[in-house]
Amino acid sequence: MAIDIQTWVNVSAFSGAGIAMGLGAIGAAVAEGNTAASANYAVSRNPSASGEIFKSMLVGQAIAESAAIFALVVAMVLMFSPFPSDSLLWVFVMLAAGISMGFGAIGAAIGSGFPAAAACEGMARQPEMSGPLATNMLIGSAVCQTPAIFALVTSFILMFKDYTGLPLAPTWAAILGAGISTGLSTIGSGVGGGLIARESCLGMARQPLTATTLTNTMLLGQAVTQTPAIYGLLISFMLIFSSSPETAALTPAMALLGAGICMGLGASGPALGIGITGQSAVKAISRNLTAASDITRVMLIGMAVSESTGIYAMVISLCLIFVV
Amino acid sequence: MESIKETQKKYCSRALFTAIVLFFVFYLCKLIPVGKGLLLGTIFSVINFVLIGFGLPMKMGKTRKNVFFLSLGSIFIRFLLLAIPIVAAIKLKQFNLVAVVAGLFSVQLVLLSDHLFNLILSKRQKQL
Repeated sequence: MAIDIQTWVNVSAFSGAGIAMGLGAIGAAVAEGNTAASANYAVSRNPSASGEIFKSMLVGQAIAESAAIFALVVAMVLMFSPFPSDSLLWVFVMLAAGISMGFGAIGAAIGSGFPAAAACEGMARQPEMSGPLATNMLIGSAVCQTPAIFALVTSFILMFKDYTGLPLAPTWAAILGAGISTGLSTIGSGVGGGLIARESCLGMARQPLTATTLTNTMLLGQAVTQTPAIYGLLISFMLIFSSSPETAALTPAMALLGAGICMGLGASGPALGIGITGQSAVKAISRNLTAASDITRVMLIGMAVSESTGIYAMVISLCLIFVV
Repeated sequence: MESIKETQKKYCSRALFTAIVLFFVFYLCKLIPVGKGLLLGTIFSVINFVLIGFGLPMKMGKTRKNVFFLSLGSIFIRFLLLAIPIVAAIKLKQFNLVAVVAGLFSVQLVLLSDHLFNLILSKRQKQL
């Protein structure tokens, strides 16, 4: 049975859609489940605050599933948009778009569930802080969505870029590497940012006087947590927009694919490490506000050291793209 | 659950009002597919938000594992619904895809802007 390019592109588009939505739904479901579980605990602790807790749960879940809606959009575009069938390159484009969005939605969704869950617990502990807690939770959750936006942007660029005249080899590897780089690198950033936002909500409930400092430290920590995802995005753009000469050899293709895998995996760990550092710093500030400046300094140094491994991964990726 | 209904009413009505105003603005600018797309996306965003609230009581008093599977089921059902405007925008030229996607996030945007507005307002009041 002979299968033409159009059939392969369709098969790949459907597979990419499945990957995008399947993985995207997992993260959102974990986040919603986590929020609801914390709301259960919070209501049992303080039934009189159940109204505010339910409200927080509703709002938190609505924000947490934004990343999954991004995945849905990509899945629908993959399934129902007409794509060219002039080159087998499109097979890899469809898969890469799905991989980028699918993995990209996991971390953001799980991460944004953490502050929503913590806000529910915080409201049970300190009902009079419901307003500031809800605002802090929303800001924290919204920042957690940034890596998913990176993944969405990468997926859209992959799907709508003009590939006319580009050789199948090694471009297929660059495209697949781009999807993997953004997709995997965003997981740690989403979860790490969520950990910081979670502790910020818990800290506000524990010590309401520290609210402003905690929100500022949370935003600072979350900004640093996003940097490994930015490295992933950068490598993706380099892979998408750099053109390599046509070759039948497998080595250049594997170097480009390796660059994407290296950056994707290499960025996840540092982002998570930065998130853990930020989480502990926020917790420490909520316990001792007077030491806030020292704690922030230690946090930033710790984050810089955690980040270094992500920089090593980026250097290796750049070598694989431009030197090998 | 009365507070949930009030919250839904507050944010859904704001999202719909904003979408209708923007629809007329785009209509006057002769960007009708953008206005229609935004309105369509917002309607489905509102339905999704109402359905989240509808499913909340089912998640209470359950174990973490059960809540996970309930959430997964709820997401699949609601996302099947959210797929309708996206498919319509891809298939029909009457709706702009980007506007539909933006409309799907209208409730979330209203939630965020409302809280940020209150935060800025309270900070200014403290300064005064």
